[in-house]
Amino acid sequence: MQSICKLTFIQAATAFLLTALLFSGCKPDDFQKLEPRNWQLVWSDEFDGEEGAAPDPAKWAYDIGRGGDGWGNQELQYYTNRPQNVSLDGNGNLRITARRESFAGAAFTSARIKTQGLFEQTYGRFEARVKTPYGPGLWPAIWMLGSNIETVSWPQCGEIDIMELRGQKPNIINGSVHGPGYSGGNAISKAYGLPNGRFDTDFYTFAVEWFPDRIDFFVNDYLYQRIEPADLTGEWVFNSPFFLIFNVAVGGNYVGFPTEETPFPQTMTIDYVRVYQEAN
Amino acid sequence: MQNIWSFTRRYLWVTAMFSLLFGACERSVDDLDAPGFPSNPDVFIDGFSGGLNYAAFGGSVPTAFDVDEDITYNNSAASMRFIVPNFGDPNGAYAGGAYFTGVPRDLSGYDALTFWAKASQTASIDIIGFGNDLGQSTYQASISGLQLNTGWNKYIIPLPDASKLTAERGMLFYSEGPEDGKGYTFWIDEVKFEKLGTLSHQNPAILNGENVVVAAENEETIQITGLISTHSLPTGLNLSVNVTHNYFTFTSSNTNVATVNASGVVTVLGAGTAVITAKLGNIDAAGSLTINSVGESVKPAAPAPTPTQPADKVISMYSNAYNNVPIDTWNTRWLYSTAEESFITIAGDDVIRYRNLNFVGIEFTSQKINATNMTHFHLDIWTPDATNPPNNFKVLLIDFGPNNTFGGGDDTQHELTFTAPVLTSQNWVSLDIPLSNFSGLTNRANLAQLVLSGTIPNLFLDNVYFYNNSAPPQVPTTAAPTPTHSPADVLSIFSNAYTNVAGTDFNPNWGQATVVTQEPIQGNNTLKYTGLNYQGIQLGSNQNVSDYAFLHLDFWTANSSQLNVFLISPGPIETAYALPVPTSGWVSMDIPLSAFAPVDLTNVFQFKFDGNGTIYLDNLYFRK
Repeated sequence: MQSICKLTFIQAATAFLLTALLFSGCKPDDFQKLEPRNWQLVWSDEFDGEEGAAPDPAKWAYDIGRGGDGWGNQELQYYTNRPQNVSLDGNGNLRITARRESFAGAAFTSARIKTQGLFEQTYGRFEARVKTPYGPGLWPAIWMLGSNIETVSWPQCGEIDIMELRGQKPNIINGSVHGPGYSGGNAISKAYGLPNGRFDTDFYTFAVEWFPDRIDFFVNDYLYQRIEPADLTGEWVFNSPFFLIFNVAVGGNYVGFPTEETPFPQTMTIDYVRVYQEAN
Repeated sequence: MQNIWSFTRRYLWVTAMFSLLFGACERSVDDLDAPGFPSNPDVFIDGFSGGLNYAAFGGSVPTAFDVDEDITYNNSAASMRFIVPNFGDPNGAYAGGAYFTGVPRDLSGYDALTFWAKASQTASIDIIGFGNDLGQSTYQASISGLQLNTGWNKYIIPLPDASKLTAERGMLFYSEGPEDGKGYTFWIDEVKFEKLGTLSHQNPAILNGENVVVAAENEETIQITGLISTHSLPTGLNLSVNVTHNYFTFTSSNTNVATVNASGVVTVLGAGTAVITAKLGNIDAAGSLTINSVGESVKPAAPAPTPTQPADKVISMYSNAYNNVPIDTWNTRWLYSTAEESFITIAGDDVIRYRNLNFVGIEFTSQKINATNMTHFHLDIWTPDATNPPNNFKVLLIDFGPNNTFGGGDDTQHELTFTAPVLTSQNWVSLDIPLSNFSGLTNRANLAQLVLSGTIPNLFLDNVYFYNNSAPPQVPTTAAPTPTHSPADVLSIFSNAYTNVAGTDFNPNWGQATVVTQEPIQGNNTLKYTGLNYQGIQLGSNQNVSDYAFLHLDFWTANSSQLNVFLISPGPIETAYALPVPTSGWVSMDIPLSAFAPVDLTNVFQFKFDGNGTIYLDNLYFRK
């Protein structure tokens, strides 16, 4: 995958969203003159296995329940590790499915899996090939948290959002970073949209390339955002190991609430997740 | 632009007047190869697009639609304005019409019809869509209940299958009635076909996506309905478009059992199971119709036995032998009832047929049945189903009680269950049920409901009636009617109501065989002649009755076939008067004394009765 698509160094420091809307896919152009990199695969999950099976327990742990205050976001779902919320589909994909069902006091169920305690890495390329769910109130995300969250707490630990999507706008994703002084609604963020397509109809590859002095955000290897320390309104906290999180939230401050008409169940389908480090 | 529009507007009113004829005058385009029709996407931007016409639907207000140059979306030159009439508007009941082109357009490059709309109040447009060309409307597609509010919003109607729309003339149509009886106004602007690319997750469905299972038999036809195509809008919300059958291709899993034509009409041909499914383009439609066919239907070969109860002793609910009382419905379709009724004839006899009977409510609340004087309830039933135990058939009668309405604490009911050997399969079974068996049915003056249930899903029903077959009583159960004539106008011979002529002998020995007794009936002394041949009455004194007009008497007999009464004056001069027998209950007669001529009315002294049977007499008196 990487060798097919020679990424070149970005020249235009500021690419506006509306400009970006016009370009998608792996088509190097004047704005995509990226320096060649020699990425070496160090960790991945291709999600091969039998239909209904849980993802590899050596790689994935679960967040269960409703978290504190809806995981800090007024989210409505109860996260479980049941196969109906998270399991392999037998065709090489992982499914995280949000359902409208009464469960332990919540009106919805879903799942949130993470590599916390199992895998973490500082810097590198983190990519996942994903087809999102859709519908008002659906909030799928591929993201990372600093492993030191247990000791320094959020947002000091840092957060890198590789992909977030609001289900009522299934043609737009956001890539963001959160840290001290730039968290929650003040995160450093940029949207990337498809002018005549949607992220819930086909698989797209979402990636970040994380270096000591910058984080680049990609959709299908198109670079749509670069964040450097100078872009932040606070401390650069991205020099320590991070772990991965995949989840589908329902409701919450970021996305708003689902409506009676929101179709359920809704599934985020993940073809693979691959993490690289740059070889010297 | 303005000039063109003015012309168009004049033209379209004329068109509206003849809208119903217009489609028939147009050349059909169905059979033509698409010769590359124009793909102009515009319907109404700042006015009618090229070649667009308008026709109001029949029954709608013809002037409901006009072009508005004041209220427009985004300050454009003009919008479409629709004035929905109030309820009862003499000009029409609703606003509705179609916008169509003379030359078809190729819309296959688009994926949606879009427009901006607002209304003078929050409202819901009943139907809006495209594909109505006032003719075949082959590829009509529409939204039901489009929600409008007072701000401009953009609306999207996805094209269910653009590849079909290579020669489409129906650009837009709508139909909207008053909201809660009140009219209002809505505006539509920037109407055009677009290629959005942001529609997805198309899910077509038949039968609204349900998997329906029906029992069927040969020659039945079933129309596949509930044809929709659901799309995910750019908002992530789903929207269902109602579409015609022409978007679908239908398939039967077993054409020996049932076939389905292009219009979605299923015809049952044989026994077995067939599943009808459909596709829209290459997409499998949700929903299916599973037909479990018994093949040739099993029906009674002969009609039910003809009832023999006399009509005057019957209250009939359903029978060709009697006049039937009105029944509101033979199937109330109560919740959870699966029964389907049909009315058939067997050898000329009308029969009710129930299928899928779990229970069925039969109601006659509008005119309740008073079966107080009835003794039995009769039904003839026939079933092809197994009747061996534990199969059963249940009959429930419900009376609404003195308050004559459902509930109120005075309703009574009782259910009886019938099993083999009373029940038999494929035979007419006549149930003659004594009403006394419905022991919980303490009232039957306001019978309002009949419920049939049990384990025989196929039931043929005939001759449903109440009747009275009790033998006539041999003694009166009630006293003779109490006389109402003024004592001053009466000369009484035998009555508890008046002072009688003293000294009268009611059993003079004239050699008769009749046995005479006097018996109290409900406390009222009554004269009884048992085994009458003849019987005299000797008055205590001779009476001048010439001032009186009538002889009154009450009589009762269950078994007499001949009875005469004689008035007698000395001579003897006597004249007979025949009384109608037997009676049903007490009969009161006032016989003009002139009928006894030539008896001397100034000097009467005897009565005589002759005939046969057992006679009860009372209130024998002369009156003015």
